[in-house]
Amino acid sequence: MFNKLRKAFSVCYAPHKLAKKKNIRRRCGKHEHVFRCIMGSSLLSVAEQLLKDLQRTYSETNQIPDDLLIALRFVFGQCALQALDLLDQRSVTCVSSPSGRKAFQVLGGSGRLYTCFTSCHYCPCPAFSFSVLRRNESLMCKHLLAVCLSQAMGLCQQEQVSDQQMTHILSGQTEASI
Amino acid sequence: MADVLGVVFRRFATGTVTSDVIVPPHAEGNTLVLGDVNISRSVLFLAAVTAATDLGLKVLFFTQTPFQSLPVSLRASIPGLKLESLKNVKFVYVKTLKELVEDIASLHELASQAASVPSLIIVDSLDHFSHGSRVGPLQDDLSPVAHVAALLHDTAAFLSQILQNRADGQSLCRIMVSFQSECEGSRDSEELLLSVLDRYLQVRCTLEEVKRDEEAGLNEWQVYLSVMCPSLVQQWHMVLRAGGALEFRPVFGGEQQIVDQPEKSKQENKRCGDS
Repeated sequence: MFNKLRKAFSVCYAPHKLAKKKNIRRRCGKHEHVFRCIMGSSLLSVAEQLLKDLQRTYSETNQIPDDLLIALRFVFGQCALQALDLLDQRSVTCVSSPSGRKAFQVLGGSGRLYTCFTSCHYCPCPAFSFSVLRRNESLMCKHLLAVCLSQAMGLCQQEQVSDQQMTHILSGQTEASI
Repeated sequence: MADVLGVVFRRFATGTVTSDVIVPPHAEGNTLVLGDVNISRSVLFLAAVTAATDLGLKVLFFTQTPFQSLPVSLRASIPGLKLESLKNVKFVYVKTLKELVEDIASLHELASQAASVPSLIIVDSLDHFSHGSRVGPLQDDLSPVAHVAALLHDTAAFLSQILQNRADGQSLCRIMVSFQSECEGSRDSEELLLSVLDRYLQVRCTLEEVKRDEEAGLNEWQVYLSVMCPSLVQQWHMVLRAGGALEFRPVFGGEQQIVDQPEKSKQENKRCGDS
């Protein structure tokens, strides 16, 4: 599913091509107004609304329409496609322990395992540290976006661990390469 | 934590306080305390004691430096304070950032022991922990700080869920972290570290010394309490007297100007992650 959409998506994402492709503007439909509002709204609020729209649409149709893909690219930049790749590979796992504590683990392309939290945005990857924390250029890295998308679309793997293992995971002791 | 600070300011106020610390309903109360290490430590300790005695909260107090005795300010601020009153405060002495992270990461294991779940987690001088974690000049000093702040946030969110299921109605676990800026670092790197902490601690309590009178034994601070989203700044005045007592009084009725709507929009966009 994502390969087909990714091909259409990669043709459509470039802003100058967006301006020229009338069929894209026609397909944007109700999401076209989102682009107009972006300039006047907090980017984070827009991102949150976009993810909610995606969740609703995906639950109804089991697919992501092109206009939502375009919106994802617009809001999240290059990591949108990378996050979709991670979703394709089923790289996101929700780990939980008997205490009820949960966390997300994302298997990166390099084989490293990244632990993300459920209540706030954090990822131990270099891209999050540089692009999000240091430069404030991006809302999130591809791993965090993959977590958000997998939650919205119900595509998380599930894994049970012990409380002690969860402590190791939360403290960042399980991020060695596989 | 901001609501606990409100209790502290009211409890140790000079005169009658008619207004209270305002925390917007949708803002999280996790607080970052900025200021001199000694006065921050005293404010943290005062907050811990107030939460334990006045509010009956369980408090976890993480610090590198053991308390050899009660801070001087506490003896004068709370005359007759007995050590037994501090039974709800558990002091955890950790030496390194790694130990701090491991201890916080293990707090979820308390979920099965309902009586031990803390409602307030305090970390004294987080900057001291993060300095020790650097291994060289090129070491990224943002990720370790972000990790511990995010872990604290996530742990508090989880423990709040546990507390909400309890019958006694205590539904929140709050975080309070003190941080002192580096003397040798650049202002840019300091602002960067603070911006990272702001992501996970929505309330900032800044202690700015305005007067030091050694002869009279009187030190004064302005206390600025600001909430990130939506923007709100409140101001209090804090005095440390010769006997060590800490006193507070509100400035302009306890709530300094709520930022005007246009300015509020700008600040909200800036601090709510608008790139």
